[in-house]
Amino acid sequence: MITEREKYESLVMRVAEHKDKAAFKELFLYFAPRVKAHLVKLSMDPRLAEDLAQDVMVKVWRKAGQYNPAKARLSTWIFTIARNSYIDQVRKQKYPEVNADDHLGEMVADEKTEKPLEQKQTAARVNNAMKHLKPEQVEVIQLSFFEELSHSEIAERLQLPLGTVKSRIRLAFKTLRKELGEYE
Amino acid sequence: MKPHGLIGDEWLVSYAAGSLGEAHACVVAAHIDYHPALKSKLRDAEDIGGALLEVSEPDSLQSDSFDAVMAKITAFEEDMFGAVHMDTEQKDTVPPIVVGTDILPASSLPSSLSQYIADKDLNSLKWRRMGPGMSQVRLWDGPKGEKLWLLKARGGTEMPVHDHNGLEMTLVLQGGYQVGASHYTPGMIELADTDTKDHHPVIDEGEDCICLVVTEAPIKLHSFIGRLVQPFIGL
Ligand SMILES: [Zn+2]
Ligand SMILES: [Zn+2]
Repeated sequence: MITEREKYESLVMRVAEHKDKAAFKELFLYFAPRVKAHLVKLSMDPRLAEDLAQDVMVKVWRKAGQYNPAKARLSTWIFTIARNSYIDQVRKQKYPEVNADDHLGEMVADEKTEKPLEQKQTAARVNNAMKHLKPEQVEVIQLSFFEELSHSEIAERLQLPLGTVKSRIRLAFKTLRKELGEYE
Repeated sequence: MKPHGLIGDEWLVSYAAGSLGEAHACVVAAHIDYHPALKSKLRDAEDIGGALLEVSEPDSLQSDSFDAVMAKITAFEEDMFGAVHMDTEQKDTVPPIVVGTDILPASSLPSSLSQYIADKDLNSLKWRRMGPGMSQVRLWDGPKGEKLWLLKARGGTEMPVHDHNGLEMTLVLQGGYQVGASHYTPGMIELADTDTKDHHPVIDEGEDCICLVVTEAPIKLHSFIGRLVQPFIGL
């Protein structure tokens, strides 16, 4: 019995290894409408969002060989591709990336790695965890992810001190991580 | 509170969300590169983005959308066929071992920095003098006045005392420095903002200290001489 998640991950593997168009079409049918919807939420014009969602899927095809299910959930990987493409297209900026390997981490001695959440939570779990946030915490998470506002822009929008915005985001994140951790 | 030299979680969330400008994203990504613990937290923060994407009510696509994507893929693969081959050949070559220099080789730099210095090591960059014992390389200027740059300071240098008109993020790449009771070494980040007064970093004795810095606005130098030369430094 394979999970929904394993099914989509195996589709990416088929694209990476065999350039399997049927597998890619299944991925496309699931993710492209969601990527487009996400871009529209970022207040992109629907026609431009359609075009960019297509470009995101082109990148999924091209980078399929780089996808590592042990390092990221598939929807997270596609989210980061969409995020970076959006920034490139709309802001005309690069989004410098974190190295996927721990090539520098080994230089920093005696650092305890917190137990990672592993990659087993589903979107439904994250969504459910969101329900444990206070409304004002949901607000700062949404302003970050859907309006891409910086801390000071959020402070300005909500007429709050910068320190309050930062601690609200920290608390929201802490709650989310805790909720997700409980499933382990 | 958060451990000394590590950035707060609110920055990981903002990085994950895509709400940082390029300069801040570069410094935050570089800092995360040094710390497996931050990398693991970042994965959690990006999972929030993935989940938000996945639970988006699917939008309808144009009827020919899949064909359009396949056409883009075909066009791309025809275009890139030659270039991709050159690419892989270059990546297979072993980077030369740097001999006789006390500066970091390119391979031990955060990857987010590499693209701004064309994968060079720090030694072969064009350092511009900016004051006694200090030099800089400008990497990127942003639309909101933010500047991404590298600072190199000789061991024992006292940085001029200053205040800030915006946020200043400093990530140590090599060497170390002291601010008051706090000591910063490679991988550590220091945030100083308008509330940080009389900022006076003192470079450790010994090797050059090299930092990746983002500033949002020109700093306020205390000394008259400093203010005189500031326009020429451009920071
Ligand atoms: Zn002062
Ligand atoms: Zn300063």
